[in-house]
Amino acid sequence: MSSPVVLLDPVEFLQPNRRLFIDTNVFMDTEPRRAGGLKRLFERGQTTILANNNPIVVPTKVVGELTKQSQIDPSGESEERAQAIKKAGAALTFLKSASRVGLVRKDLGDDTNPYADDLFLQLFERFAGTYEMCLLTHDITIKLRIRLLAHRLAKRLLVGVLTKDGDLEVDTDDSLFDRGHRKYARHAARVADGTGNFKDESEVAALKPLLDEFGKIFGLKTSAVKLGPRTTRSSAPSPSTARWPAATPAAPVNPFSARARLKPSDTPLAFSALPSEGERVEWASADKTGTLVLGALLGEGGEGTVYDGDRSTVVKIFDRDHLTRHRKEKIELLVGRNLRAKGLCIPTAVVRNSAGEFVGYVMPKASGREFQRTIFNKRKFEREFPTWKKTDLVDICISFLEKVQYLHSMNVILGDINPKNLMVDEKKNVFIIDADSWQLEGYPCPVGTPMFTSPAMLGKAYSDDLRAMEDELFAVATMLFMIVMTGQFPYIRTGTDGDMVQLIKEGNFAFQYENRNNKDQPEGDWKYMWSHIHKPVKDLFWHSFHREGKRYKKRPTATEWLEAFKAYKSYLRNGRMCFDPMSNDVYPIRNKAFKQDAPIQDCPTCGRKDAIAGIWNDDNEEYFVPRQCNKCRDQQPAPLSTARPPSTTRTAASRPTSQPTATCKDCHTSFPTAQLKYGRCPACTTKANTLDPNRLCTDCRQPFITYDHIAWFTAKYLDIPKSHSAIKQVCPAAGRPTPSPTAKSRSQSQPGFWTRLWKWFAGN
Amino acid sequence: MARLNIGADDLVDNPTPRVPVSLCLDTSSSMSGSPIQELVRGVNLFYDAIDEDDDAHDSAEINIVEFNSSAGLVHDFASIERLQRISSLAASGTTAMGAGVNLALDTLETRKATYSGSGVLYYQPWLVLMTDGAPTDNIDTAVMRVVDMVEAKKLTVFPIGIGSGADMKTLARFSPNRPPLRLDGLKFKEFFEWLSRSVARVSRSTPGDTVKLDLEGLAGWAEL
Ligand SMILES: [Zn+2]
Repeated sequence: MSSPVVLLDPVEFLQPNRRLFIDTNVFMDTEPRRAGGLKRLFERGQTTILANNNPIVVPTKVVGELTKQSQIDPSGESEERAQAIKKAGAALTFLKSASRVGLVRKDLGDDTNPYADDLFLQLFERFAGTYEMCLLTHDITIKLRIRLLAHRLAKRLLVGVLTKDGDLEVDTDDSLFDRGHRKYARHAARVADGTGNFKDESEVAALKPLLDEFGKIFGLKTSAVKLGPRTTRSSAPSPSTARWPAATPAAPVNPFSARARLKPSDTPLAFSALPSEGERVEWASADKTGTLVLGALLGEGGEGTVYDGDRSTVVKIFDRDHLTRHRKEKIELLVGRNLRAKGLCIPTAVVRNSAGEFVGYVMPKASGREFQRTIFNKRKFEREFPTWKKTDLVDICISFLEKVQYLHSMNVILGDINPKNLMVDEKKNVFIIDADSWQLEGYPCPVGTPMFTSPAMLGKAYSDDLRAMEDELFAVATMLFMIVMTGQFPYIRTGTDGDMVQLIKEGNFAFQYENRNNKDQPEGDWKYMWSHIHKPVKDLFWHSFHREGKRYKKRPTATEWLEAFKAYKSYLRNGRMCFDPMSNDVYPIRNKAFKQDAPIQDCPTCGRKDAIAGIWNDDNEEYFVPRQCNKCRDQQPAPLSTARPPSTTRTAASRPTSQPTATCKDCHTSFPTAQLKYGRCPACTTKANTLDPNRLCTDCRQPFITYDHIAWFTAKYLDIPKSHSAIKQVCPAAGRPTPSPTAKSRSQSQPGFWTRLWKWFAGN
Repeated sequence: MARLNIGADDLVDNPTPRVPVSLCLDTSSSMSGSPIQELVRGVNLFYDAIDEDDDAHDSAEINIVEFNSSAGLVHDFASIERLQRISSLAASGTTAMGAGVNLALDTLETRKATYSGSGVLYYQPWLVLMTDGAPTDNIDTAVMRVVDMVEAKKLTVFPIGIGSGADMKTLARFSPNRPPLRLDGLKFKEFFEWLSRSVARVSRSTPGDTVKLDLEGLAGWAEL
């Protein structure tokens, strides 16, 4: 038998027409067999790198992943894991110095790419025609993908790992196929015996088609693969098989078709009788049949009636109007596919009446209560979950997203995402019900909720067409926003006439973002809630909802959101990053503190904890600390008229000590008039005078224009100038030394990622 | 008399879309005696039912406009939590229905402007008009305003006649989409129970949804 690997010299990928990339897992590799390999690679390659000005690429995304890993608290982790976390930290230090001397380039890539995997694939596909490329990674899935890509494009694209000596070790097709199958079997076994998580399920979903294609293309057979000792768990009998009517763990699940055409219109089904409480019905799961007696009536919904099944299941019997061909066929598909995941109330058996006619289905019992009745309203939220913090809401988002991600991997579109078919329990588990409305295999989701309907879908009949993933992702984004904001609608703004369709269509997302001053921001504490949201999540929200946002037409996927919310969770846990203690409050009563050093105090009037944060005053370069919190300030006697107070309101004469206050024109919070400058509070003044770091002068590539200046042009509908000279200023002298060629090219490469990459590949 | 405390906080802190309901009630002298007593009982029962419904509780905002020789506001819009039950209404004078409806429409406009100004979502408002007689003032303007709003889908109106003296032809002018209904005897209780269920139904929908009224439930109180 031939060797399963081929050894190559990685230095060949440091030649001018080639590129070498390194993935996160290589830096975190703790395998003693390969120890020192990275170091050897750099020793062997450094002269070539510098001679060709062709540094090894470690994309920003990888650096970000390493940073995240290095921040994990290793206590309580396994020894191996703790060692890997330590390695991530060490790698960062190494990368810093290596990039300083021009050996590594780590400024490529941006945050719009959710996963390094996807980034590498995009990169390789895009530049395969220009360069030979090699990626160092241990991830078998991406290895398979790139091998397939290389075959499809007939280009030289390699994936491998490093040996101890810094040689490039590349799997043969056979060996890679074999390893792919072992990985698949490992995840599939966990899924089958019920110990699997979403990662297992999405790996299974991803690997299955990949391996099929790989086998076909390279003429390899699955039967040749012997499952190694690592997969013993798959043969263990599952204790859950005994319980009715959960079916036996089946073979790993194939996703539904991704490209099914719309089925012909739905039609009603004939039936002789609809069973009710106490009546016996027949059930049939994927591989078993039996009968059961409908238990107590649990509820009547818009489509039918739900009865108690057994300890862990319920039975839904459709009403006459909803007993249709589509529902029957869809439920049969779901039952037959035997998808199972915690929190998804997927049909496990079809239910027939005594005449053998389809009348409903069995599904797992959901626990908890509807979002609508728990977290979507302050009164209900404080009644149901009085101790929860922001991090608990973030957990709910994560739990919701894991389920959505899994369903999307199975090519299931939920369709009617709304706060009445999502439930949450006191352990923050999310349950998704109403599986019979899901869209799959060309059966549309016939129902919808305007608040969660994408602009493109509004005004159409839900049952007339299939929803696109973009429509679904609109609902996902809206739901996430409403979880974090406890029920507030993203497009809420002042000046509406109550027309929700109009609000969604106009795309005027009114919450304050960066230098934009949206005067339509709703009143109340919502602005404070919004202000405390973790910046990356805030960015995704803004770009998804605002018509000028970058993700307005290409909305973030469940996977992307999941990553953002996991980062939000670790941010809230990290006291250094999340310096404002109020950021973990569900209902904060002030804006997020300006900076880490801002003084934060309890309110002396009402005693609310951390209720006052210092406001930076740029003029005297110190924090102004208000005397009382916003709540106490707002409780001062208001003028008798119901109209909004005039901009300068003198307080009653009986309180001669009160200062006159006025409203800041940017943040609309009131301040002592003495604190305002050109109608702005100290914090907003600072902001207005700050240079926008995202707008660079076209001549010198430096920030050049203030937010205030930008607002001036915007208000007059003028184009925003693009250079120092256009605003009658002179570019500052380029006084910075350029220690290495890399540093030079870096400072030139501030425009978009692809532009930078093109330039770089073009040898610039 | 009803009293209420004005609080801006629960207006803006509650993200639930609001459904403003104006009860525009005839308190002319012909209503005195058991009709007005049953009406008061019915209204209070309506409040209780809204209070107990988890959805309607956070959605409904109710005011009462009365009309006799002139029109007056019994209490302005408030959430159910802030509404005290009414102890009595005095019945006297003539039937200034035009003035009553105009005032009710004005209060609805003002309330919508408040929602709009503070950033609160709302459903298009409801107007419940109840009378046992015929108008003694000019109703042309009021009719025109109501019809325009109903046709623009900016108002849902329920004109209800009380007893055999109610002028159903006049009420019909206020209801371009469906015929007005006459209360069966003094079944105020049944009517307000039905109304609270209907409000609850709306508050479970999303603004913009078409909500089907519970027509079967009408049989409980209407003379069909
Ligand atoms: Zn205070």
